[in-house]
Amino acid sequence: MQKDYFDRVHKWGILWNIGALVTLLCIPVAICTHLGVWPELDSLLSIMPKLMGLYWLTAIVEVITYVPLLGPGGAYLSFVTGNISNLKLPCGLKAMEQAKVRANTEEGEVISTIAISISAITTTVIIAVGVLAFGATGSLQLLTEGSLAPAFEYVLPALFGSLAAGYILKHWKVMIAPFVVGVLFLYFVDPTMGAGTLMFITIVAAVIGVLILNKANKL
Amino acid sequence: MDFKESPFMYAVALAVIAFVIAQSVFFLVKSLKRGKELGISKETLKTTMISSAVFTVAPAISILATVIVLANALGIVLPWIRLSVIGNLAYETTAAQTALDFWGESLKHSVSDPQQFATISWAMTLGSIAPLLLLPFLCKKLQKKIGATVNKSEKSQKFGDAISAAAFIGIVMAFVSREIYSYTVQKSNVLDAAGNSIVNEAGQILKVKTITGSAGLMSILVLICAVVFMLILDIVCKKFKLTKLEPFAMPIAMFAAMGMAVLFTNVLPESLVNHTWFEIGTELAQIYE
Repeated sequence: MQKDYFDRVHKWGILWNIGALVTLLCIPVAICTHLGVWPELDSLLSIMPKLMGLYWLTAIVEVITYVPLLGPGGAYLSFVTGNISNLKLPCGLKAMEQAKVRANTEEGEVISTIAISISAITTTVIIAVGVLAFGATGSLQLLTEGSLAPAFEYVLPALFGSLAAGYILKHWKVMIAPFVVGVLFLYFVDPTMGAGTLMFITIVAAVIGVLILNKANKL
Repeated sequence: MDFKESPFMYAVALAVIAFVIAQSVFFLVKSLKRGKELGISKETLKTTMISSAVFTVAPAISILATVIVLANALGIVLPWIRLSVIGNLAYETTAAQTALDFWGESLKHSVSDPQQFATISWAMTLGSIAPLLLLPFLCKKLQKKIGATVNKSEKSQKFGDAISAAAFIGIVMAFVSREIYSYTVQKSNVLDAAGNSIVNEAGQILKVKTITGSAGLMSILVLICAVVFMLILDIVCKKFKLTKLEPFAMPIAMFAAMGMAVLFTNVLPESLVNHTWFEIGTELAQIYE
């Protein structure tokens, strides 16, 4: 039964994935057709290698990291809707933790997909309403310049602080190694390292920490 | 009318949004149906939906705020489309700037040449589609491999749980560490007095690396507030058996910490509010590339 469901998810995922590729490619095609101009080949040949060198490599890393964490349904959906590390990933992780299910079980797959689809719908609606209602008037500037600006400037520490606290009561011992290693790495090696790369180091630190704790029977 | 914000552009945006919503609703319906078949309680499914929606509000508004950053150069519609599919601010900014480099232009000015605009739309799209090309080949293989490993470790439930918790915690701690000590750098073109990019004999453009963001006292304070609020809510929920409140503890803690950011900004001395480990705006180096 389990194999059945995951197989179906992959089938749906691949079909929607192809649909998304076609939709995405239609955007520049539509713009060019409408404007009656097309990019010159030499400009794209100069621009694309620089971008692909950076982002196609990152894509491989992201797919390998996020698929096991989000499950296939959540992953197919997240990679189309974007904003994974700052929204879809924490949303999926939190939902699975709350429902007390584990990733890569069928229950985990269902909960993670529900959380990510609701998150994708909410985000799309909020951005659309924001742009349509306030975009033309220029009042969106309030988000970056008004008195509420600090709230949105610090949305990431607020988000990850509350997410981390959810683990403190249950797994505080497991948190020590990745926390210390993460901060020391940024301090001594590279303070500009992005969370997407740093993640590999902190995950390894956390897993090594668990192995040591397990061996010492302190888990 | 500005071609970047014509009714046609809005129509393209609405079509893209219809696709994203359709895919999300499809997966939502399928997984809800499967959840019921698996015997997951109606309450759990409902709670997952409501708490995920509440959780999303604040980050979504901050994504909306990033649309504005790009709207100056590209109009509001293209950034809107891009941040609704695949996109994120860092990528879209880099893609647009890399494309504009070709003409020695900068994101600081509004793009008025349709050809440049069209090229930017191609650059943004082609650069970001890699995951969609990889997923059909990799997703199934990865899931099967990981699924098998997880099911094996079920023999010792506690250890298995700790390993999967360790992966989650590792990710969260990467973000937490960055709020404690880090900075971000962005490259932009150096402009001459007439506002044009400076190009050397080899055709390379002069760029300057500038610190555009840094962790500091405020990010640490907000982080601590979020942790404390969440712990308090967690303990209160458990002590008074407030199971209905539990799923909202995290969004509430997040909003409260964001509220504290506004409060700190207004009450703390400016020197503390603006304290960062690395001074924002510092120019690090100029390079031709």
